[in-house]
Amino acid sequence: MQRMLTMIRKEFRQIFRDRPMLVIIFIVPVIQLLIMSFAFTSEVKHISCLIVDFDNTPMSRDLIHSLHHTEQFDLTEMTTDIRQIDERMKRWQVQMALIIPPHFSRDLERHLNPQCQLIVDGVDGNTAGVALGYARGILSNFQEKWTAELTASSFHNDVHIIQMTERMLYNPDLRSQQFMVPGIVVILLTILPMMLSAMSLVKEKEVGTLEQLMVTPLKRYQLLSGKLIPFLLLSFFELFIVMSVGITVFKISMNGSYLLLACLALIYLMTTLGLGIFISTITHSQQQSMFVAWFSMIFLILMSGFFIPIENMPLLLQKLTYLNPMRYFMTIVRDIFQKGSSLRFLLKEAIPMTLFGLMIFTLSVFKFQKRVQ
Amino acid sequence: MKSPDIIVKTENLTRQFGRFTAVNQVSIRINRGEIFGFLGANGAGKTTLIRMLCGLLKPSSGEATVAGLDIKRESEKIKQKIGYMSQHFSLYNDLTVKENIEFYAGIYGLNRKQIFQKQNEISKQLQMEPYLDSRTSDLPLGLKQRLALATALLHNPPILFLDEPTSGVDPRARRSFWELIYQKAAQGTTIFVTTHFIDESEYCHRLSIMDNGRMIAIDTPESMKKRYKKKSMQEVFGFLIREKGI
Ligand SMILES: Nc1ncnc2c1ncn2[C@@H]1O[C@H](COP(=O)(O)OP(=O)(O)O)[C@@H](O)[C@H]1O
Ligand SMILES: [Mg+2]
Repeated sequence: MQRMLTMIRKEFRQIFRDRPMLVIIFIVPVIQLLIMSFAFTSEVKHISCLIVDFDNTPMSRDLIHSLHHTEQFDLTEMTTDIRQIDERMKRWQVQMALIIPPHFSRDLERHLNPQCQLIVDGVDGNTAGVALGYARGILSNFQEKWTAELTASSFHNDVHIIQMTERMLYNPDLRSQQFMVPGIVVILLTILPMMLSAMSLVKEKEVGTLEQLMVTPLKRYQLLSGKLIPFLLLSFFELFIVMSVGITVFKISMNGSYLLLACLALIYLMTTLGLGIFISTITHSQQQSMFVAWFSMIFLILMSGFFIPIENMPLLLQKLTYLNPMRYFMTIVRDIFQKGSSLRFLLKEAIPMTLFGLMIFTLSVFKFQKRVQ
Repeated sequence: MKSPDIIVKTENLTRQFGRFTAVNQVSIRINRGEIFGFLGANGAGKTTLIRMLCGLLKPSSGEATVAGLDIKRESEKIKQKIGYMSQHFSLYNDLTVKENIEFYAGIYGLNRKQIFQKQNEISKQLQMEPYLDSRTSDLPLGLKQRLALATALLHNPPILFLDEPTSGVDPRARRSFWELIYQKAAQGTTIFVTTHFIDESEYCHRLSIMDNGRMIAIDTPESMKKRYKKKSMQEVFGFLIREKGI
């Protein structure tokens, strides 16, 4: 016990004197918080939109008005010069343009299906898609309204308009943070423990102090727990920070039990700390271990459903995700945050995650020998 | 067969890396209290041999005991009995001198009071009071080596393995390092030291010369010079490598 404490004390001293490690410890959560606040916002608002109105009738103005009336679009300008579109998109001044053709209202009244054209800047594909969706919705509402009015006023025919009402469960206002924060928690509990434990073990190997530790009576479990406990504590500390910021600043709601989250996080850390040990046994320099850690992390994240929903993957890849411990933890954390799920509903994920954790941790500890290669 | 006076014994100890044989059938016996030197050029296999004796590396074949303990089966017990200074500087550069002593003493199971005593003792013995709170990386190289030696001895091991302890150190610092070794040997510690400095081999009680993994001679420096009719170890070494080396 005393030996382990000696090891832990030394480890903490070293962590706070090691610049690359400090950078990872402090920069990772900061970047994550920044990501939380802007980059990944999948909600699209205030798309600047250029209107080219060749019709200029009450009806076309009504259409423009209905675009203008939403949060999603900002009308920057009206023009009748088509060349402006290209020019302004190149200068990043507008992201979308709507062209209303001449005789738009006359054609609509005569049921001639006038063609409006929407031009979207596709550089940011995600935003473009969402913007297009919004605009379509507005245009079809508009058409519905006018068709109904026109039909009512002239003759009655069987136009059946399907009315759709949408109701989103669990994340009612589709706020992206509510979805992102759990993902970020998972990534934090992956990067930090894996990278730091791998780096600090490999550093000792590189410098030669690991060889010295190996000729002391320090047992393998004392050596490893002395190494890992500081990173475990740091990970929990940063988890606490990121969650507090998420809850107080970004107003995400945590509907589940903190204790359950902490317990399952502890189990998940077996996997990531275990991977850290494993990486340290197959690499010989800090750079190598960083590289391997990043590479495995990207792979884990891509296959976890964080960016690409698992249901959208090809079937083979979907099956492969069952081999990814992060996939289970991602589901667990999201469910705890959003649905407030209790352990009973999470067993389907918690059991395979625990098995993976035990397996990875045990194998790595056995691979880590008190010997030099 | 165990003689109380033989503290390290190897029997055809061999280690291969793939098809390359780094240590080839080495058999030695080292007596308690001896300063036993291992002389050989870079790549001769000195480090590999020392690592096997410390339980860091499994032998490919052959037997060895250290302090009566088998290196294959009892390597963890051996670790209580030995001090080891590897060829790389093995203290933490980002810890202070005091913190390094505290750490290794803690690892060897010394209590607070003993740790404090050791810190005082070492700082007096090595005259390093002014450095106690500076980072170990800021010490002069000679002092670093002596500090590393002192930490390897924190638990008063009966056997001390030193792997090229004086490489890169200036001659004066080398001399003070050897003074420490003599002090320790006088207290009954057995010392196993490798070197590629031929002049240092004269300081050893007994000496073995290694070349390409094989041991080509083992004797006291005096008898070696007599036997091969040479004036210095320099000449003996040159002669042996030419005659017996591969
Ligand atoms: N882990 C290893 N894998 C492969 N070859 C090794 C390994 N360790 C040492 N060697 C080789 O064994 C030989 C002896 O090395 P070493 O024992 O370090 O020599 P010395 O300490 O006498 O300089 C060298 O040629 C070295 O390249
Ligand atoms: Mg060597």
